[in-house]
Amino acid sequence: MELLKMNNITKSFFGVTVLDNVAFKVRKGEVHALLGENGAGKSTLMNILGGVYTKDSGTVIFNDKELAGSSIRDSEQAGIAFVHQELNIFNDLKVYENLFLGRELRNRFGTLKKKEMISETNVLMHDLGVDINPVSLADDLDTSKKQLLEIAKTLHADAGLFILDEPTTALNKEETKKLFDIINQLKSKGKTFIFISHKMPEIFEIADRYTVLRNGQFIHSGDIIDTTPEEVTRYMVGNSYSDSSMYEVRKIGNTVLELKDYSGQGFNHVDAQINKGEIVGITGLQGAGCSELMQTIFGIRKSKGGRLYIHGNQITHQNIQSLMKSGLAMVPANRKENSIIPDMSLLENTYISEHVLQHRRQHIYKKGEIEKFQHFTKILNIKANHHDDYITSLSGGNQQKVILARWLNTEADIILFDNPTQGIDVGAKSEIYKLILKLSKEGKTIIINTLEIPEIQKIADRCIVFYHGKVQVVLDRKDINEETVMLHATGAVNSNGHRQGVEHDW
Amino acid sequence: MTGKSSKDILKNIWYEYNFIVIFIIIFCVFLIINKGAVSWTGITNIFLHSAIMGTIALGMGMVVLTGDIDLSVGSSFVFVGGLTILFYNQTGSVLLAIMFSICTGALCGLVNGVLVGKCKMPAFIVTLATMLIYRSVSQYMMNEMGETRYRVEASLGSYKTLFTFGNGSVLTIPNLAIVFLILALVMIYITTSTKFGKNIYAVGSNERAARLAGVNVIRTRIKMFIICGGFVGFASFLKIAKDTSFDPATSGQSFELYAIAAVVIGGINMSGGKGKIVGIIFGTMAFTIIDKIITSLGMNALLNDTVKGMILLIAVGLQMVRKKSS
Repeated sequence: MELLKMNNITKSFFGVTVLDNVAFKVRKGEVHALLGENGAGKSTLMNILGGVYTKDSGTVIFNDKELAGSSIRDSEQAGIAFVHQELNIFNDLKVYENLFLGRELRNRFGTLKKKEMISETNVLMHDLGVDINPVSLADDLDTSKKQLLEIAKTLHADAGLFILDEPTTALNKEETKKLFDIINQLKSKGKTFIFISHKMPEIFEIADRYTVLRNGQFIHSGDIIDTTPEEVTRYMVGNSYSDSSMYEVRKIGNTVLELKDYSGQGFNHVDAQINKGEIVGITGLQGAGCSELMQTIFGIRKSKGGRLYIHGNQITHQNIQSLMKSGLAMVPANRKENSIIPDMSLLENTYISEHVLQHRRQHIYKKGEIEKFQHFTKILNIKANHHDDYITSLSGGNQQKVILARWLNTEADIILFDNPTQGIDVGAKSEIYKLILKLSKEGKTIIINTLEIPEIQKIADRCIVFYHGKVQVVLDRKDINEETVMLHATGAVNSNGHRQGVEHDW
Repeated sequence: MTGKSSKDILKNIWYEYNFIVIFIIIFCVFLIINKGAVSWTGITNIFLHSAIMGTIALGMGMVVLTGDIDLSVGSSFVFVGGLTILFYNQTGSVLLAIMFSICTGALCGLVNGVLVGKCKMPAFIVTLATMLIYRSVSQYMMNEMGETRYRVEASLGSYKTLFTFGNGSVLTIPNLAIVFLILALVMIYITTSTKFGKNIYAVGSNERAARLAGVNVIRTRIKMFIICGGFVGFASFLKIAKDTSFDPATSGQSFELYAIAAVVIGGINMSGGKGKIVGIIFGTMAFTIIDKIITSLGMNALLNDTVKGMILLIAVGLQMVRKKSS
C-alpha cells in the first residue's frame, strides 16, 4: 500500500527549474532511500513535502488524501515529521524546552508542567539510549547530541512518516547504529521513513527501497535487495563522466602560489604548490577545512601559522586589499550572502572591486566603465538587458558570471572559486566550467573548491583531497574519480592508499 | 502595451523620486493656506531655515546610507557650538572658527565611528550614549562658567563679518542657503560619481559582499561618522553666524530626530544602501514648510511635532505602498 504519492512535482526558483515533473512514491512501513548528487533536487522535494516550499505544480497524496495545504503546520498535522539537515535547535533553550516547543504540557492555569516534561524527556532519551540531561542548555551539547535531539524532537511528535535529511552527518559509528536501531524499532510499529544520505553502506544497511533523482528529474526506483552500490551510483551520476571532453592539456608554468605548513581555523599544516595556468580542485566532506582554507588564503580569516607565498613573495599583510594587489581574486560561496550587492546595478557590481584597487582617481568615467562591462558580457556570455538593471534581476548563473566579471576586471591572475556552481542550473554550470577552462588557457591560475566531484573531474589538472583539516592525498588528473576521491575524503584509506577501518569519528 | 509601459515609467519615477512628490504636495498645502500670497522672501526664508537642519541631515544621510544611525548629532551640535564660541571669543578669527568647528565635530564623529566600526558596538547604543555625554558636558561647562548661554563677544573686530555672513544674502538668496546647497551638490557628486561614493552604497546594501569585494568596510563606516560629525560641526558654525549664541539646554533639541525624519522623507532607506542625497534637500525643506504652515494657521506651536510626526508616517506609508506593489 502506498502511503505517499507525489506526482508531477515541478518547482523552480528565480527561473531555474530544480524539480521537473518528479514522481516519488513511498510504501507504508518501509525505509525509503532518496538518492542523488548535490543539487539533484532531493532537499527541494522533501521541503515541498514538509511544507517549507510550495510546489509550482503537481499533486501530493498522503494517506489517500490530497495534501492541499502548503504550510509546515499542514504537513505536521497530516503526520509528516521532517528532521532537517541543518539543525533547528534553539541554543538558548534547555533540552526539554526544545523538545516540547509549541506543544508544552500545561496545567489548568496555563502554567507549565516542568516536572512532567522533564521526566518524559528522560524516558525518551533513555529509549533512544542517549545520554542527554533534559535540563542542560542546548548550547552546551556537542553537534552529534544536537543532531540526536533534533531527531528526538520529531520522534516525540507522533508522526506516521519521518523524513531524515542526512541524519548521520554529525554522528559517529556508534550513534549511527543507535539511530538505526531506533528506526528499525519504529518501522516494526508501522512507521515509514524517507532516508536521505550520501553514504552507500548506510543505505544498503537500513533502506528497503530507493529512488534516484538527477538534475531535478526522476531517474529510477526499485528494491535495495535487487541492486548494488555501483548501479545506484551510475543512476546518480548519469552520463556526466563523459562530459570531460571540454578538457585539454595545457602548458603549466612555474609555481605562483605556495603554502608552507599553513594552518588556520579548520585546517592544519597544509603544504601545497600551485602552478601558473593550472586548475586545482580542492575537495573534502563538509567541514574538512577546504572552504576555510580558501577564505584564509584570501585574507577573510586569520591564519594561525605557516607561510603563504604568491609569485614568490611571502604575504605578511593578510588582508583582502593587499591580497588583491598581489593578483588574487575570489568568487566566494553562497552568492546571495557573499557576492551580490542587491541595491546596485550590473555595472556597479562589476566595477566595485577594480575601483578598490584603482582608488587614486576617484571620479567614475561611466562611458569607459560601460565599454568594459560590455566587453565582459561578450566574453562571459552574460544575458542581461541593460547595464543599469539591478543584479537581482538576473538568473543565478548570470549573476555568478557578473561576479566573475568583477574579478576579471581586477586583472587578477590567480582566481579562487569557492563552490561556484551552487544554485545554478545545469546549462549554466557547464558554461562556467568552460569559462574556467578558457581562463586557465589564457594563463590564469585557478583553485576551485567544490563538494561535487564530477565538477573536479571535468576540469581539474590535480585534486587535493582534505580530511579532517589535513591534506589526505593529491591526485593527478588520471586518478580523479568519484570513488577514489570519496575513499580519501571519508578517511577510508590513508594517504599511502592503505585501507583503514572505516571510522566516522569526526 | 504602451499604457502598461508608461504606467511602469510612472511607477519608476514615483519610486526614485517620491520625495519630490511629497515636497510638492506639502508646498501646495502651504500655498493654499496662504491663499497664494507667498512672497519671494517667504520662499527664500524656507531656504534659510532649512540650511542648518539640512547640513546636519546631509551628515545623517551619509551615516544612514551605510546602514548606521547617529543619534548624537543634536548634542554634538550644541557641544561643538559652545566650544566654537569659546574658541572664537579667544581668537577672534572667523576662518579659524570654521576650521575649529568642523574639526571638533569630526572628532566627535570619529569617537562614534571607531566605537561602531572598529569595536563593533551597535550604532544606536553608541550614539545614544554620546548623545547624553556631549550635551551633558556642554551644560556642565556652561554651569561652571556661571552663565546660561554661550554668547559671541559682540565687541570683537570680526563680529560684523561673522554676523553679515550669517544673515546676509546674495541676489536675495540667503548666504546660509547657498552654503547648504553647495554642500549638498558636493555630496551628490561624491555619492553618485565617485568610487568612494559607490563603496558607501555597497557597504549599506550588503556589508559582507562589499567586504569580500575588497571594500574596507570598517574604514568606510568610520569615515561616514567623521563626515557626519564634520557636517554637524559646520552646522553649529552656521548657527553661530546666524544667531551668535547657543543655549546648551535647548539648542539642537530633537535635532537628531528631525534629521532622521528629513532623511527618511528624502527617500533614503534606514537599513542602508538605497536612496539619493538629493532627497535630503527636499526632505528638509518639506519639514521647514510644515513649520511655516503651522505658524500661518496660527496653531499652537506645541502641536508642531504632532503634525510633523503625522507627516512622517504618511510619507513613509506612501513609500511602503510603492514597495509592496513592486
